[in-house]
Amino acid sequence: MKQRPNYAAGVAAVTWLLIIGVPLYALINTSLHGESVYADGGPLSAPTHLTTVNFGTVVSSGFLRDIGNTVVVAAMTVVIVLLFGVPISYAVVRGRGWTSSAVFRVFLLGLAIPAQAVIIPLFLIINHLGLYDTLWAIILPTAAFALPVSVLVLSGGMRDISGSLYEAMALDGASPARVLIQLVIPLSRGAIATTAVFAALQAWNGFLFPLIMTQSGSDKVVTLGLYNFVSEYGANVPALLAAVLLSAVPILIVYLFARRYLVMGLMGAGGK
Amino acid sequence: MERPGAAWAAPGLAFFFVFALLPMAGVVYLSFTSWDGLTSPKFTGLSNWNQFLSDGAVWQSTLLTGILLVGNMLVQAPLSILLGVWSAGYQRNRAVLSAVFFLPLLFSTAATSIMWRQLLDPNFGVPSKLGWLLGGNANLFGSQWGAITSLVLVTSWQYIPFHTLIYQGAARSIPETLYQAAAIDGAGRVRQFIHITLPQLRNAIITSSTFMVVGGLTAFDIVLLLTDGGPGTDTAILPFKMYQTAFQTYDFGYGSAIASFLLLVATGISLLLVKASGYDKMTSTMEGL
Amino acid sequence: MRDTISRRQALGGMLGIAGAAFMATACSSSGSSAGTGSAAGTGSATFWTLQDPTNKIQQAAVTSFNSAGHGKITLDIVPSAGYLDKLRTAMGSSEEPGLFFSWGGGNLDYYVQAGKLVDLDPSLKSHFLTSALQAGTSGGKLVGVPCRGTQPVFIFYNKDVFTAAGAQPPTTWAEVTDLVAKFKSKNITPFTIAGDANDSWTELMWIEYLVDRLAGPGLFAKIQGGDWSQWNDPAVLKAAQTIAQLVDSGAFGQNFASVTYGTGGTSTLLASGKAAMCLMGSWEYANQQGISASFAKNGLGYVTFPAIEGGKGDPANVVGNPSNYISITKAAPQQTAEDFLATTYSTSYLKGLIAMGEVPVTANAGQLLSGAPDPAYAGFLYDLVSKAPNFTQSWDQALGSTLATPMLTEIQKLFNGQDSPQQFVSNVLAIKK
Repeated sequence: MKQRPNYAAGVAAVTWLLIIGVPLYALINTSLHGESVYADGGPLSAPTHLTTVNFGTVVSSGFLRDIGNTVVVAAMTVVIVLLFGVPISYAVVRGRGWTSSAVFRVFLLGLAIPAQAVIIPLFLIINHLGLYDTLWAIILPTAAFALPVSVLVLSGGMRDISGSLYEAMALDGASPARVLIQLVIPLSRGAIATTAVFAALQAWNGFLFPLIMTQSGSDKVVTLGLYNFVSEYGANVPALLAAVLLSAVPILIVYLFARRYLVMGLMGAGGK
Repeated sequence: MERPGAAWAAPGLAFFFVFALLPMAGVVYLSFTSWDGLTSPKFTGLSNWNQFLSDGAVWQSTLLTGILLVGNMLVQAPLSILLGVWSAGYQRNRAVLSAVFFLPLLFSTAATSIMWRQLLDPNFGVPSKLGWLLGGNANLFGSQWGAITSLVLVTSWQYIPFHTLIYQGAARSIPETLYQAAAIDGAGRVRQFIHITLPQLRNAIITSSTFMVVGGLTAFDIVLLLTDGGPGTDTAILPFKMYQTAFQTYDFGYGSAIASFLLLVATGISLLLVKASGYDKMTSTMEGL
Repeated sequence: MRDTISRRQALGGMLGIAGAAFMATACSSSGSSAGTGSAAGTGSATFWTLQDPTNKIQQAAVTSFNSAGHGKITLDIVPSAGYLDKLRTAMGSSEEPGLFFSWGGGNLDYYVQAGKLVDLDPSLKSHFLTSALQAGTSGGKLVGVPCRGTQPVFIFYNKDVFTAAGAQPPTTWAEVTDLVAKFKSKNITPFTIAGDANDSWTELMWIEYLVDRLAGPGLFAKIQGGDWSQWNDPAVLKAAQTIAQLVDSGAFGQNFASVTYGTGGTSTLLASGKAAMCLMGSWEYANQQGISASFAKNGLGYVTFPAIEGGKGDPANVVGNPSNYISITKAAPQQTAEDFLATTYSTSYLKGLIAMGEVPVTANAGQLLSGAPDPAYAGFLYDLVSKAPNFTQSWDQALGSTLATPMLTEIQKLFNGQDSPQQFVSNVLAIKK
């Protein structure tokens, strides 16, 4: 679109840049300062007297293990969501009869339902299954509640596969499994990426489930680690913000190496 | 014969049943009991529900949930659309800035809330240094509007990048030909935006709004970590009230009543969304293009 | 069409029944899952404790106990954010701890009523001061033994700020009012307080002392005993009105509703001289040491809460936490757990606590105090507690979370001006019907 430069939009964009940039600057700046410097200067002080002692404090409190746990939770959630979501969507899109549309409706009904509303009985079920205070107590409910959106996105992606391709495979005498593996999955890569990103972010952001379902340090996830950090270090603000910064590192790594898929996954949610 | 039978959906459905549907039924059941978490639940019939209907605090919570939801949508939707459309352009500076805009998404909601709680501290945070900007005593968490504003600010800061990406993706797929035709017709930028961009973004708007609504109903962590429902009960939205009733006052029966109500509202919203978006019609948006 | 509807209805009905049936079995089995631990003699048990600098003393005690061969205790350090709520959840789960740390009082009552706690050997009482044992007793039975120092509440002040203003710490309420005006004119916050929604227990301490000074300890004792209508007592209203006056006169500054407790909040404000005084429990000393050891030693002053003219309460009364307590649950191997309790009065444990600045509540604590790093402070604490006619436990701990959580919300609203004193009283009354 060759037009004269859009000054209004440019100004707005720069303003937004400041809104994002200033807090981030404050974050990085504070995490590199000692406690007394922070008490005097505040978060927007000049970047002098920098130190990395805060990161040492954070790491020695076992924060890296929390990050590891969260990565495991996110990975397993994605695996379970895809493992169940793909066949369900496949059955919904290509299945015949009232069952497939009924199944779809069941998941659609759960679209806006917050997982937190059912935390109380979930606690009982998890307890009953002997999974209390394990990572599974977080993974399983998170995956279950990510299913509605995932089924929606996956079935949307599968529906876009042209019917003639299905017919071609039918003429070949392909079984449903073969159709799924050779046709559907390759062609719905975008939707699968979107679902994976969404499920991973749900797991990454999860706070209430870990808060209620886990207790011991060995299965603490990052969100809970930060929450505990506030009381553990008596609000040593620089160390706290260093922990916040560190908590973003895994996603930053994914962003740097798989930016295309991450962004495509997030964009794909509305790209249609 | 190449069609999958219902058995393909069975495992997933069973999983969803155990970890989602069964708990939902459980919440409703528990709302008819009184339970302290330690002993067995006692069936008490409608007593929780009677209390619920006359409980002003719960209605206040519902209202607050609505206020926060609307506030968030009013702030986030326009900004995200504008930013998304702007960053859909392929100029290089836009790409660089888009990368920066993405950064808030790297942080989990808990991390963002904790970070902002410190940054907004009246004595040691940003307000204390920017007193001239915020006028006076920077007591953000001491007034209802201060607290609500803080919540909207933090939520927007974190999620506008997310919605921007949705709109960016959608804006990029708007065919160039539509704009060219309009330009030939003499339509200026603003008119092009209103008559071409916005309608083409309809699906993205629905998707984005869906996420916002769902997010509003689950925005528990931000409230807990930023305002703790305060000042007083001024930001005690429904999910927070449920948590507080069940896990801090140990009244799991009444907490389940609140949760059942939340379920009811959420299911209603799901139905509305499905109707408005036509998701259940199972049509592809690629049709006819 | 008719077929599908009835099929859906049938499915829905089955779901509902299945759900209810499952819940019923799940709930009742979780109720009985506790107590199926190795409740026999010796074995291993988990000991839940609050995260705190004294953890290393506890760990030392645990390590030496384990090596003695009476069983194995594992120390589980739980961060303080929502500790009691987490404990509650765990007590209702399959991972019930064998021993746990708590503040005693009303929260223990819940567990006793649910049959989760073991009555402790009454002979243990002889090792401790009687006043400290009360919060560990429920229904006349001992269910918790003190395991920490005593934590009374009093006024900390910044000596440098006072010297610069030419003022003396207050001993009467009239002096408090004068000091408020004096510091306000110098742009120093007279009393720093954490009005943040999470920290309203700091505001509770003011109400505790005001009511005690005005009406004596009997008033709250009745409330604690179950007579909730005592909140109607005029002393409560007077205390609330006094708070409103203090707030209006700027005693707490303008933005206390956003101030948090501790480092980066009230403690730093006091240490940096931005505030003159702070009503806080004895653990504040450790906070201050963390900020600046030299200030804690030289610049930090402390004085008891002043008397109020015309009040019925003895000015020597004290509020705060008498101690913290270890309780044993039915999930622990009984012999091991009871043997472990002996560490709470062992000399090495007590000496460890004293070296960290705590004043234990054992009968022999007075003699061991010479080992304290700050003898003046330790002496002050010991005198304050041993000479107090009454030591009222912090109300939120004494009442238990079910009543305390809404009470704390109303207190926050009172300080923040959202409740008038009259509204405060009627709202608190409405908490328990």
